[in-house]
Amino acid sequence: MSESPFDTLGLPARFELDLATLEARVRDLQRALHPDRHASGTPAERRASLSRAVSVNEAYRVLRDDLTRAAVLLGSASEPAADPEFLMEIMELREGLSDARTGASIERVRDLAAIVRSRSSAARASLATALDVDADPGRAAAALSKLRYYRRFLDEVEVAEEDALRASQG
Amino acid sequence: MALLQIFDPSSRPRAIGIDLGTTNSLVAYVTATGEPVAIRDCDDAVLVPSVVHYAASGATVVGDKAKALAVEHPSDTIVSVKRFMGRGAADPETRRLGPYRFATDTGPVVKFAVAGDRIVTPIEVSATILRELVDRAEDDLGAVGGAVITVPAYFDDAQRQATKDAARLAGIEVLRLLNEPTAAALAYGLESKKNGRYAVYDLGGGTFDVTILDLDDGVFQVRSTGGDSQLGGDDMDRVIAARVMDALGGASTPARVRYALDSARAIKHALTDATEVLSELAHDGAEASLTITREELDEAIRPLLERTGAASRRALRDAGTDAAQIDGVILVGGATRVPAVRAYVGALFGKEPLADIDPDLVVALGAAIQADLMAGSGARDDVLLLDVIPLSLGIESMGGVVERILPRNSSIPCEAGQVFTTYADQQTGFEIHVVQGERELAADCRSLARFTLKGIPPMAAGLARLEVRFRVDADGLLHVAARERTTGVEQQVDVKPSYGLTDDEIEAMLTAAYEHGEEDVVARTLAERRVEAERVIMATEKALREDGDLVGPDERARIDAAMAALRTAHAGADPRVLAVRIEALDETSHDFAGRRMDRSIKKALAGRDVGTIERDTEAARGIERAHEPLSRSGDVEEQG
Repeated sequence: MSESPFDTLGLPARFELDLATLEARVRDLQRALHPDRHASGTPAERRASLSRAVSVNEAYRVLRDDLTRAAVLLGSASEPAADPEFLMEIMELREGLSDARTGASIERVRDLAAIVRSRSSAARASLATALDVDADPGRAAAALSKLRYYRRFLDEVEVAEEDALRASQG
Repeated sequence: MALLQIFDPSSRPRAIGIDLGTTNSLVAYVTATGEPVAIRDCDDAVLVPSVVHYAASGATVVGDKAKALAVEHPSDTIVSVKRFMGRGAADPETRRLGPYRFATDTGPVVKFAVAGDRIVTPIEVSATILRELVDRAEDDLGAVGGAVITVPAYFDDAQRQATKDAARLAGIEVLRLLNEPTAAALAYGLESKKNGRYAVYDLGGGTFDVTILDLDDGVFQVRSTGGDSQLGGDDMDRVIAARVMDALGGASTPARVRYALDSARAIKHALTDATEVLSELAHDGAEASLTITREELDEAIRPLLERTGAASRRALRDAGTDAAQIDGVILVGGATRVPAVRAYVGALFGKEPLADIDPDLVVALGAAIQADLMAGSGARDDVLLLDVIPLSLGIESMGGVVERILPRNSSIPCEAGQVFTTYADQQTGFEIHVVQGERELAADCRSLARFTLKGIPPMAAGLARLEVRFRVDADGLLHVAARERTTGVEQQVDVKPSYGLTDDEIEAMLTAAYEHGEEDVVARTLAERRVEAERVIMATEKALREDGDLVGPDERARIDAAMAALRTAHAGADPRVLAVRIEALDETSHDFAGRRMDRSIKKALAGRDVGTIERDTEAARGIERAHEPLSRSGDVEEQG
């Protein structure tokens, strides 16, 4: 994409973004652009409609997710190496998850998920302040990196939960 | 001028909607008064059983007549072919309880060996069903101009591609592949006109879909979709069929299996109203009495329902919502007639599901509405469907791990890319393995295609920059492009291979069909190109009428000249000249089309002041705010 996703959708470049506003904007644009609207147009119009509808959806996909939206705002600022203390924390959480999985203890998996969810929302709040209030890219990048680790962890929790459910159903 | 007659809108061919179902198929259209109706045959039947019988004589029989032949000719009568669409010969789905003979040594696509020494693919079987439906529509409507064909939302790329190939083989222009739950929502939403959040629970003969969507002033936005493309009413039948087989005892012949499956379906249907069914079974000398109660059926299908529950909960989670926020639950598919299914869905979402539109017809009615919309009838200008991809798309990277490029539930059409690099020195080719699914390892996902990007000059490991771009069109079909950035070596792939037919194979089948039939290939091509030329001229004239001010005098002269040349070619008889002229007009109007689209964007955003957009569009409507133009940096990359 040659332009910023915020520009594509005509929205201000901020981290805090109301999802309802974002969706309403996408709907307004797709009402005009979607290929279904131009099905009886010339081939050139159909191509133009497709490529613009794609851009709008690509912008939507990037902006609706906290991680990718923050990455756009940070631009090419390089990601800092995660601090050793945080890496320890993640390793411990992972070990806990792996134990809970081998023990097939869904309660333990859910407890871990609750801990990570609360840490994740703290990291998100810090990311929002760093980007929108303090304009501090260093702190924002650090918070974003934490959020990414938490997200990956929660993805694994989801898999673990599904496995446990499947196992319990035989 | 002769052209004017052809442009007469009242004589224009009608667009149709087709529900190509596992058990039954049907076709519908929208009447002149805007009503969607299903087309009936001379016996007043709406449903065409999705059954094709291949006779030893070489004849092909479709529908009810084929169904009647299934017990006597179980291996030559293909039932529930949809379950085999886009599947490999080694796929576990192909190997389940069924009476078929599979052809061996015929490549990765599953093929049936049928009477008359014929080998048919699921695509050909489906094409035969589609042709039957279109013939039916033509009997009723005269000319048919394109079709919207529905597919399960959870169909993967191979299954969608196979469906589109079947249509191509049947000689049908596909206006759109539409997801079945979305089609059903369209039929319901336009009836009730109630904004809100809906769940569509679609349990068909062979597939289960669940879709969560928002209806907002005519825009149907799918938030998430989930399901199981190998779960449906057929599975309930199999559970009962196993009981029938046990009761009869003896060997499991194809004919016995067919008999058991048919008896099972009849028992299931009877248990919708009765609480207990006594069946007198008799097949090939074996006789038995079998009593099955509704409790037993409920017990037997409980595990299947649990699977639909798990998929529904995940769809709710993916949509960022929960059952309490769902305003209505729509039931689709014949299997939702089973009382235990209704009770389960009611408990799952905590509300009584809606079933006011016949669950067997609702998908086709929705498809007909979409076909009518796309044919540009102009009657429902405010309606738009925004759908998503059901499964994540990615490529296999180092160690067999999947690198996701487009996550599931991305809105379509969409595009995304990822840059990869070489891991070995002097590596001159990249193998790209495209997969679909949610699992971490490529081996656990569905393999869509493998191709190799060659011709990269030898470099040290890690220096090459390989960009892989995925584009999913509005039909949900994937196109892949790969480019090595430092050298510009490029490759476009339409994802087909793994379990599909290649373009060449389809061409060969089409040519064979022409050779056997009366149709003249040149005449057919000419007729098709003429229709296309008429469409392009009509669309260009409309564009000039609406936005003529966007065209400078020189450009206008070029467009007019290209149109005149196309008109001349239309009057001639050379399909190649027509193709060249269509292309030329397209080329001349390319920039104009881009400007028109930008104007649409501005119009769409006019009056929408950022930050004060009201969620309630009712309230926002009528307030004209100062129009703030959007800046766009040049033209966004165009395809082709």
